[in-house]
Amino acid sequence: MNHSALRTPWPWLSALALALLGVFVLYPLLYIFTASFAGEGRSGWLQLLEDRRSLEAIGNTLVLACVVTLFATLIGVPLAYVSARYRFRGKLFITLLPLITLVIPEVVTAQTWLMILGNNGVITRFLKGYGILIPSFYGWFGLITSMSFIYYTYVYIGTVAAIGKFDAQLEEAAQSLGTPPVRARLHVMLPVIRPAILASALLVFTMVVGNFAISTILGHNLPLLSVAIYQAAVAEGATNLTMQSTLASTSVLIVMAVLFVNRRIIAKGRYEIVQGRGAKPQPLKGAQGLLVSAAAGIVVAVSLLPLVTIAVGAFTVSRGPVMRWGEWTLDNMARVFITAPGPLVNSIVYAGIATVISVCFSTLVSYLVVKKPNLMTPVIDYVSAIPLALSGTVLGVGLLASFNGGFLALTGTSTIIVLAYVVRRMPFGMRNGQAILHNIPNSIEEASISLGSPPLRTFLRVVLPMMLPAVASAAILTWTTTVSELSASLLVYSGGRETLPIQIFRLIDSGLMAYASAYGLVLVAVILVPVVVATTVFKVDLFASK
Amino acid sequence: MSEKTKEEGEPMGIAISNLSVKYGAETVISGLSLDIPEGCFFTLLGPSGCGKTTLLRTIAGFAPASGGQIRFGGRDVTELPPHRRAIGMVFQDYALFPDKTVADNVAYGLRARGEKGPGVEEKVKAALERVGLGHLLSRHPAALSGGQRQRVALARALVIKPQVLLMDEPLSNLDAKLRVQIRETIIELQREANITTVFVTHDQEEALSMSDLIGVMNKGKVEQLGTPQEIYATPRTGYVADFVGAANRTEVPVRPASAGLVEVEVAGHRLTATDALEGPAERGLLVLRPEDLNISAEPAAGRQSLPATVRGRQYLGARTSYSVECAGGLLLNAEMHGAGHDAFLPGAHVHLGFEPAAARVIRS
Repeated sequence: MNHSALRTPWPWLSALALALLGVFVLYPLLYIFTASFAGEGRSGWLQLLEDRRSLEAIGNTLVLACVVTLFATLIGVPLAYVSARYRFRGKLFITLLPLITLVIPEVVTAQTWLMILGNNGVITRFLKGYGILIPSFYGWFGLITSMSFIYYTYVYIGTVAAIGKFDAQLEEAAQSLGTPPVRARLHVMLPVIRPAILASALLVFTMVVGNFAISTILGHNLPLLSVAIYQAAVAEGATNLTMQSTLASTSVLIVMAVLFVNRRIIAKGRYEIVQGRGAKPQPLKGAQGLLVSAAAGIVVAVSLLPLVTIAVGAFTVSRGPVMRWGEWTLDNMARVFITAPGPLVNSIVYAGIATVISVCFSTLVSYLVVKKPNLMTPVIDYVSAIPLALSGTVLGVGLLASFNGGFLALTGTSTIIVLAYVVRRMPFGMRNGQAILHNIPNSIEEASISLGSPPLRTFLRVVLPMMLPAVASAAILTWTTTVSELSASLLVYSGGRETLPIQIFRLIDSGLMAYASAYGLVLVAVILVPVVVATTVFKVDLFASK
Repeated sequence: MSEKTKEEGEPMGIAISNLSVKYGAETVISGLSLDIPEGCFFTLLGPSGCGKTTLLRTIAGFAPASGGQIRFGGRDVTELPPHRRAIGMVFQDYALFPDKTVADNVAYGLRARGEKGPGVEEKVKAALERVGLGHLLSRHPAALSGGQRQRVALARALVIKPQVLLMDEPLSNLDAKLRVQIRETIIELQREANITTVFVTHDQEEALSMSDLIGVMNKGKVEQLGTPQEIYATPRTGYVADFVGAANRTEVPVRPASAGLVEVEVAGHRLTATDALEGPAERGLLVLRPEDLNISAEPAAGRQSLPATVRGRQYLGARTSYSVECAGGLLLNAEMHGAGHDAFLPGAHVHLGFEPAAARVIRS
């Protein structure tokens, strides 16, 4: 870097971004790593080896992740295939699936499964009336069922995109060389889309490992890693820093190992797809069409079940944990808006601030990384992606332990909740921003500068307006994922600063499903309204940069 | 205010002295000196990777100089950031702002200079009318054709009355017919504004037809500087001879003959050629343009010629290109025009005649 570069604002902004990432991402991570080795007394890793329950939690988590990944792939891939290649009744609903996963927070999904199949669930009680006892939904059965029906959407989205990019002429080429159609498809298409399937499957794996909401609500007494981390952090407070750090580090190491596998094995098998002609979806008719429609319909219905359940539950009379289905009331909603509106207000304020900070930061930083590279920007790029590998629970533990006192005491403030939101969701904005910036040629900026506009003004007047569609979609995605954030904020919040997901979580814990439904319905509305307004009124393309 | 009037002053020449440019550890340009006179249309000609675009970007200020000096008129701009150099730049991909209308694109540079009000609108309208696009003020770039986009880019660069105009392969994304049209537009506008212009291209036809001066670049150096006529008719190196126009090049033993001429030996025959060796030498490079070689069935009387055999023949409509083989396997390219230019068939024994003035011997 020569001294003329120092006269532009970019090196200084890079240094500032790097400093912020260092304090709020690297420092907490290093803090828990070092704490796992050097606590008071023995190393956390030695303690871990002697702690049966923790080892069991790790083992259970790995088994759960494998099984859920398998089921999610088995549901997601065929669904993606039929919806990419065929037309049938009800296909529109399947194309809405990505939106459903965006909209329904995991804590609400877990809650609705309990309301239907839990100990006081609708179906459980109905069958009990006839003397039929179904196995408890808590534990393995419930975890696998509910997680598979959430996470298959990630496999579905990844596979649909890959099939869409697949050049149908390759298939025709194989057929022209004498391969029968079905074999041609298997031989030619599968190797090309396999990397996308594997990548989304691994994503599911890491999400199950990091999952907290469903694990803790449906896991009951089954030891699981993220629940164990949470318990070590909350139940025993900061006193057992060593153990919570060790467990959190274990979670990080598992996710890092998966990401490593992803890079090593999958990146190797990735093929360059030359711009090709996509296949036209073929209509499915008769029995075949009915079968596909029915199968797809079941998957979509199960995905939509939470929405229906909480919508009904929110207006149903309850006495303690018992729902009186068929008796209607507005009391639950009144509680959300009038009696106890705190969580609603907190959620909107915290998520609003976090979205603004996160979008501004990620826009500026992705600009630095793509357009103004210097010695610092590759490090910035790398460090800003780290939160993707951290589960919310791990991040919460890290922030809680790092900013409990010392040079920056944030525990017990609203700031630490906003901070958790920003750190956790900022990588999404980074990805969006970088993707759009790669599509803006450097000459556009140079044209502006050559016309006499200084660098910063050029960024504001020329680059930013061109980034706006991507920034808008990043803002919406950040908002939806931030409002529903539970696992990190649950660790760092303090009394009076409950957000909607935290409140729902606490109500579920107390078995107050009607109230939980009301808060859940409002939460879904808080998520959904900006999405609808943005896509219909402002014509924001939610996936603008993809 | 004083700076503004200075920036909008008369066009100025560009003086580059001992310039070096590095990309990381790699030196792209080293010790380059060049004087471009005021109002000159100067073309940097060379293949990709020769450093011509880097030189242009260094003049613009986008690539920092690691040594040497660049002056616009008397003004040292070497350390000046690009936005304060008072340049106008036209890019290969047009680089129009896609979210702004044609009028706003052209007004951008004026507004960046703090100009406001109806004065801006008038200048924008006049600039666009000058390039024949006065009716497209409120269009967006996406709704324009390639040629129209390049005209807008040109108007945008010129409306700010820059001291120098820099153009980076501005015609290479256009189809052949449009290219010729826009060439004329560019020349007219350049003459009208009498603005010092640096034009980068790899297209020799563009360079020859548009320029006052051409610098042929090779490996970060200006290999020959001259008018289009000088570059084409009297190339000083084999590289220039080959890059500008086609040329047969063959190394030959040389003996001095009468003033300005040398005797060379080609395929066992002694022939007379023009001495362009710039000093005594025993060997040299004989350069023969294909269009200067005349094929005939019998040797022309009173004219030097080489016996040869036709090996290949490409009929090109207005002319025919022949590949002929002389004694010793020497292959030469010859081009015939005029009536009967396609008369010779492969296998025919012919004679290649040429004037001593058309055969130049340069240093090898």
